[in-house]
Amino acid sequence: MSTHPASRFAVAAFAAVIAGVPVVDGTVDLARRVRPPVADLFTQPPTQANLRATEHAMEEGSAVARAVRPWMLAARFLGLRDGGDKVLRGRGGWLFYRPGAEYLTARPPAGGSMVNDALAAVRGFRDELDARGIRLMVVPVPNKESVYPDRTFRGGRPPAGALAPETAAFLSGCRRAGIPVVDLFAEFRIARAAGAPDLYLATDSHWTPAGLRIAVGEVARHLRAPAGPSAYAVLPAPVRRTGDLVRMLQSPAIEAAVGAEVVACERVVRAESGAPYADDPASDVLVIGDSFLRIYETDEPGGAGFIAHLARALGRPVASLVNDGGGATLVRQDLVRRPRLLEGKRVVVWAFVERDLRLAAEGWPVLALPDLPRRIE
Amino acid sequence: MNDRIALIGLSLLLAACGARDRNDGADAQVRSLGTVEVTARLVEVPEGAVFHRDLYDYATILKYEVVAVHRGAVAAGATIFVGHYDPWKPRAEAADKRVQGIGGTVRRFRAGDLHRMALETPMDDVFMGGIVDKYFGKREGPAYWAVWTNEAN
Repeated sequence: MSTHPASRFAVAAFAAVIAGVPVVDGTVDLARRVRPPVADLFTQPPTQANLRATEHAMEEGSAVARAVRPWMLAARFLGLRDGGDKVLRGRGGWLFYRPGAEYLTARPPAGGSMVNDALAAVRGFRDELDARGIRLMVVPVPNKESVYPDRTFRGGRPPAGALAPETAAFLSGCRRAGIPVVDLFAEFRIARAAGAPDLYLATDSHWTPAGLRIAVGEVARHLRAPAGPSAYAVLPAPVRRTGDLVRMLQSPAIEAAVGAEVVACERVVRAESGAPYADDPASDVLVIGDSFLRIYETDEPGGAGFIAHLARALGRPVASLVNDGGGATLVRQDLVRRPRLLEGKRVVVWAFVERDLRLAAEGWPVLALPDLPRRIE
Repeated sequence: MNDRIALIGLSLLLAACGARDRNDGADAQVRSLGTVEVTARLVEVPEGAVFHRDLYDYATILKYEVVAVHRGAVAAGATIFVGHYDPWKPRAEAADKRVQGIGGTVRRFRAGDLHRMALETPMDDVFMGGIVDKYFGKREGPAYWAVWTNEAN
């Protein structure tokens, strides 16, 4: 064994780091009069769930980790261009959601594809709505990585018709089943080829106002929106937005280095009064979906997202139900809990992000809708 | 010999960590907020129900067995389902711009723990955001909304 002072120092420093973290964490917990998570190993049965919960609590509750992690992430991101498990640094300052990039480039793990489940859930939902005289329109929203593979990967090319295999299977499955599906992949591809402005934000996983306008136009066309002037007008409402892919890294140093994007939103208002757009739960159109419906709508500047712009295109307010990150199933569960939202509806527009075909929170169960409650006249 | 001393010392330390003073969880907030106040035992934390979410805020439904009823119409011994907002956060840090007025002393959710809670029902009237419900379709009746959640033992 070497007795060189440098070796001894390295061993001592390593041992101090290894031993120091639990000592500091334990001291902090005791000072706060909080039982250290490690104590759970001795006070709870060692089941898989308990051990996972304890491990999770030790990771999340570590005072040392909470203090050091943002700086380590900043060093990796700014020094090594590494965004960790969630964020991929693309070209030209663009950031991407790594699971979205993996959706495009990697096969699903064995048994990991949910496409058949998704098709069964969509068919089931269509049938449930049909039985109530309501039409379903499905709107899979492309991952940013599917629209901009050339900015995601070195050597990537603009999409020329290629789709992720699961997406292609889903779209063709919907068409075979006679389910109306809006193909935004084709529309975005055409728009890019025609030189459209950026359809997605550079540091966020969501679309720009230009992207959502194309989506609104397509959905409105499928819904046969009336021609002519709308009851709504738009007002410029630019906002500064720190991208979700930046916030996901949870490092103030990275946020400061990347900065916010200026987004040229347009807020929808009543043409005659200037009043901000407001949903009408009694509308004949219900829009359900995930954060692609929330951005600019309940986020700043408000009333400038997909929902308000669809209402403007249709010339009448719509009803909506939004569940961040839960476009596949959580939002349908919300609808089951709030069946009155289906009263008087003729169409349900269901938007969810493409990657949910593999990564949906809670999977794609077939859900039964409750009977519409009877109104007491 | 040294190993034995170290083992005894470690055991005493862990025992001290595990030891807690008797605490009924009562404070001004839990006694006054909401329309229902119970002491209840957290039956389980389902796999995937409580974890740090990157961007989104959810309420998660957890299953409790009521041990004592302090206010409201709930039967002792009943099983109730309670929605906690962002349960991966300590209750004292859970309130945010969207959901205000919630809190408590619970730092994390462990199966078997006893909580004294001020509750509101039905939850859907109070909370309009996303709900992760591992019991969806398997439970009946409305869920409760956790306004204040204190540790008890």
